[in-house]
Amino acid sequence: MATSVILPKQGQSVENCIITEWYKKKGDRVVKGDLLFAYETDKSSFEEESQFEGILLEIFFDEGDEVPVLSEVAVIGEEGEKIEAQKQVEKTGADAPAENSQNTLTENGSVGIETLAETTVVTAAVNGNLKLKISPRARKMAELKGITLDDLPGTGPNGRIIVRDIDAVAEGTIQAAPVAQTLTTGEFEDKPLSNLRKLVAKAMHASLQNSAQLTHHLGADARSILSLRKKVKKQQEAGKAGNITLNDMICFAVIKALKSKPEANVHFIGESIRIFRKVHLGIAVDTDRGLMVPVLRNADDLSLAGLSDQIAQLASACRAGNIAPDLLQPDAATFTVSNLGNYGVEMFTPVINLPQAAILGVNTILERPARMEDGTFGFVPFLGLSLTYDHRALDGGPATVFLAEIKKEIEQFNHEIINQ
Amino acid sequence: MPKQQLLDPVEIRKPQMLEIAPIPVNQYNKSIEEEKENFSKNDFVRIFRDMVIIREFETMLNLIKTTGEYLGYPYNHPGPAHLSIGQEASAVGMAYLLDSDDYIFGSHRSHGEILAKGLSSIHKMNDKELMEVMEEYFGGEILRIVQKDFKGDTKSLAQRFLIYGTLAEIFARETGINKGLGGSMHAFFTPFGIYPNNAIVGGSGDISVGAALYKKVNRKPGIVVANIGDASLGCGPVWEGMVFATMDQFHTLWEDDMKGGLPIIFNIMNNQYGMGGQTSGETMGYNIAARVGAALNSDNMHAERVDGYNPLAVIDAYRRKMEIIQQKRGPVFLDVLTYRFSGHSPSDASSYRSKEEVESWQKIDSIVTYGEELMNAELASRTDLNKIKKDAENLVLWATKLSTDDSVSPRMDLVKSNELIGEMMFSNGSVDKMEDRTPEVNHPMEENSRVKQISKKERYAFDADGKPFSALKQYQYRDGLFEAMVDRFYKDPTLIAYGEENRDWGGAFAVYRGLTEALPYHRLFNSPISEGAIIGTAIGYGMCGGRVVPEIMYCDFLGRSGDEVFNQLPKWQAMSGNIIKMPVVVRVSVGSKYGAQHSQDWSSLVAHIPGIKVVFPATPYDAKGLLNAALQGTDPVIFFESQRIYGIGEEFQKGGVPEEYYEIPLGEPDIKREGSDLTILSIGATLYKAREAADILQSKYGISVELIDARTLVPFNYEPVIESVKKTGRILLTSDANERGSYLKDLAQNITELCFDDLDAPPVVVGSRNWIIPAHELEDFYFPQAEWVLDAVHEKIVPLKGHKVTNDFSDEKKIWRAARGI
Repeated sequence: MATSVILPKQGQSVENCIITEWYKKKGDRVVKGDLLFAYETDKSSFEEESQFEGILLEIFFDEGDEVPVLSEVAVIGEEGEKIEAQKQVEKTGADAPAENSQNTLTENGSVGIETLAETTVVTAAVNGNLKLKISPRARKMAELKGITLDDLPGTGPNGRIIVRDIDAVAEGTIQAAPVAQTLTTGEFEDKPLSNLRKLVAKAMHASLQNSAQLTHHLGADARSILSLRKKVKKQQEAGKAGNITLNDMICFAVIKALKSKPEANVHFIGESIRIFRKVHLGIAVDTDRGLMVPVLRNADDLSLAGLSDQIAQLASACRAGNIAPDLLQPDAATFTVSNLGNYGVEMFTPVINLPQAAILGVNTILERPARMEDGTFGFVPFLGLSLTYDHRALDGGPATVFLAEIKKEIEQFNHEIINQ
Repeated sequence: MPKQQLLDPVEIRKPQMLEIAPIPVNQYNKSIEEEKENFSKNDFVRIFRDMVIIREFETMLNLIKTTGEYLGYPYNHPGPAHLSIGQEASAVGMAYLLDSDDYIFGSHRSHGEILAKGLSSIHKMNDKELMEVMEEYFGGEILRIVQKDFKGDTKSLAQRFLIYGTLAEIFARETGINKGLGGSMHAFFTPFGIYPNNAIVGGSGDISVGAALYKKVNRKPGIVVANIGDASLGCGPVWEGMVFATMDQFHTLWEDDMKGGLPIIFNIMNNQYGMGGQTSGETMGYNIAARVGAALNSDNMHAERVDGYNPLAVIDAYRRKMEIIQQKRGPVFLDVLTYRFSGHSPSDASSYRSKEEVESWQKIDSIVTYGEELMNAELASRTDLNKIKKDAENLVLWATKLSTDDSVSPRMDLVKSNELIGEMMFSNGSVDKMEDRTPEVNHPMEENSRVKQISKKERYAFDADGKPFSALKQYQYRDGLFEAMVDRFYKDPTLIAYGEENRDWGGAFAVYRGLTEALPYHRLFNSPISEGAIIGTAIGYGMCGGRVVPEIMYCDFLGRSGDEVFNQLPKWQAMSGNIIKMPVVVRVSVGSKYGAQHSQDWSSLVAHIPGIKVVFPATPYDAKGLLNAALQGTDPVIFFESQRIYGIGEEFQKGGVPEEYYEIPLGEPDIKREGSDLTILSIGATLYKAREAADILQSKYGISVELIDARTLVPFNYEPVIESVKKTGRILLTSDANERGSYLKDLAQNITELCFDDLDAPPVVVGSRNWIIPAHELEDFYFPQAEWVLDAVHEKIVPLKGHKVTNDFSDEKKIWRAARGI
């Protein structure tokens, strides 16, 4: 019997993927493990291997097609087999027959529930403006085509936005935003937002609108970690250790501070504050696609070397674009570190990833005059630390105590740690 | 032909006096000694036993209902129990001579009749027959229960089967004789000739006539007894049933061995009250119910009042009346006078009758009186009689315990299988003929004038150049219906058709033209103007195993058969636990031009009722294919036709209407024209208005319309419609039914649910106005027109450039009209 190839669901929030490349074409013989096709979400890329042997009887989507996850994208079977019955239109969740599915989800029931819950969330987000008059079909089309609905004139009954209005925008017959029309062409280029840009924009805007953020700045004496860094570098050159960066060490110090001051390791969730027993550390990573903040789960279980290794892996996954989308959810992390030191930034006010309650900005190291132990004045390297916290979750006192704790951990960094 | 029967004014206008023959009242006057020539000692005692079993059975129910226990055994029965304590002699007397070939129909108060008839049939059947019945019924399920630990003989086993099965049925157990789906007021057991009791007063009054018609037309042995109450003589269907049963044509026009009256006894179980209304003295004027017979035919329907308190008097009457029926001189009307001690139901406080009255009848309690007579005649001793009573008590207690034991007698498990009842609503059979014998016809089909005429017609409306053939040359919608009918008449020997003007006239709209010549009277005849009986008799005919096509000339007359269409036709398949099939196709013609009471499309009303299939073809191709499918099936179908289009040719099916037989499965909507921008789903003749609108939308506004004809309302496959709406994103629904409560609303609601995310506008219904239908000249203001469709599209779906509306489909107007109920 012919078998369906199902587009896997990569993470809870992923609804659609774009098929970027077909490695096989209709009629090709495939064996288990052959790469069938590549696909990507707005954040990551994946490749799908065949789990079956046979002839690729039919391919339902072309390269570049946006496909709902768990859709049947192809059929593998024997020469001349009928495939009519296989084609199921956008079957999702519990309806997708497990035995035909290539994805790893085996518990149909739970998948169904997740899908359901998630659909609700997505709808709510898109429907943001519930008073907008738009037909369900037009809404769906706008979503698929990434068309902004605000200010779009509806030509349906009572000004309802209907499909032809979306078509008109897509075809360029009308502009979605009337403001753009007042500007002269040639002076600028309207570049549609990438999906990642849209997400970042929405999240950051929401963060600043919906919380009470303020930032404290503090400098930490960096002599200790700088000397450690030197030591590590030597060991690394001698092939005895991995590349443990300053950032790794700072993160390590932060984790320790979070463990001793758990009031910063929290989510503010409206009526309550969720205090985490474990530290799931979000680490801001700059990529070509934009800012990503992957989470390192259970970071407090790791040694410095382990931490360093994991952070490196996460960052490269982000840059390669194949990070698991679940690791990018803001509620996956309990606290975030954003390091702009490399860029020479002396002070900044990082924006919290809600529902987290705080974020640490790490600045560049500056030489500052200071009284040395022997009473003379000299220059001491100071690492700038900027803690933004949500005043709803945390008052200034505890926030400062926490920041001072990070400072302390950095200044008293135990050198033995690298040998552990 | 009635043409031969001249209505001679000279003869008819002569002065004369109408002589009505005397009607005997309580004339029975025989002693037990005299009756000994008719009954053995065992017979006499058996009569007593049957009365006692019934009394005990009903006493038990009465105690359960009023005290919550029987002989110390507690049980709560929340359902109905209309008891007939006091009426046992009437029931046993009625059933005594009947065997399993004789069918009884009952009322809401028929436990006694069921048991009496069952016991009588058991007595007359041999052991082998009884075992076969019990083993085959529901795969022997009931038999296994009553057989457990039982060592007695087969007849006793069958009695246990009857008592247990009936009681389990009353208590709504899956092991009841109708799987608990009939219950107290609808229990029956056809292998013993016990046909449905009926919770609607007088409901059996016309259904039983259909059963008698079945026996007559198909030459089946046995008679039919309609056990209905005295108060049911106030019900239209009873009168219609009696009018139908006494039609002159049985004697004057039906041919050869078909000549003669129907084998039916209208047995009025006259307990003198209709609930609390005293029939003789308060709610009726007949004084003695037997008088009614005199109204129906010159035989007075052989009417007679007999003493229902004396089983021997009733049996005596039956002996004489069955003789009359044997001589084909039926029907018979019997007024069996009796009295019930028990209340109408357990909630009856007897506020309408005095204690003295009840006591005076209890004083002559038939069981006591008859028992004494037996002892006086030395046919039984007091000990014998007491033993009979004790045995009855044991039997009833055993049945009570067993039928209320959840582990033995569970209820239908709707948790485990939620569709169990749903699956019983239709039998979904596919049967060429209900019986295998040669159909009676007058000539070979190919010699039929209509068949010959149709063979010369153009089966597709247009010639090779797309020009329409002349209307007369076109194969018409009515020809499609005719072909399906004639085919089945030559295939299924049980098929009969009747209604108003069905024979010589050829049907009011010439659908049956040609059939008169092809068929003997008993297969196609004119009925009285009795829509209730037209459908009611068909129900009886169908449930006995015959296929039948009753016709309602105008849809508006369907109201006259309201009980039959709403309460009877749809219910009996499921209420029998699927024992009964109902191959009844009701042809209903939707009118036009004749105003408010001759032009209504009531398809929505019947589609609302669970248990009937509803079909409404709009083209000759669909008319033939769907009628073929309806006639091949075993389910009740209301088959709507439209008088607007009887003459229309086949304008959609490119290959024309096939000459050969084909079926179009019920439930499949048909895409009449493909399109991409808007779906229009129509029901019935409105298809043509929808097509007109589609043409304008295409030519003037570039909107491509996908035109779907629902064809069937129940069942309905949504999938093609969903597919279409996924494509077009828009749907408009239209039919000639007035808009409020129209079936279109149901379709629209479901489509909204099923296609919500694909909709670019709400599904819009364009129905007729919520008015009376005005004169033909004003009809265009009432029924949906192409222009209305454009207006609705413009106002509700997608504004049409430059379109000026003539009808207001705005929200404000909708609210305004609804607030006024128009």
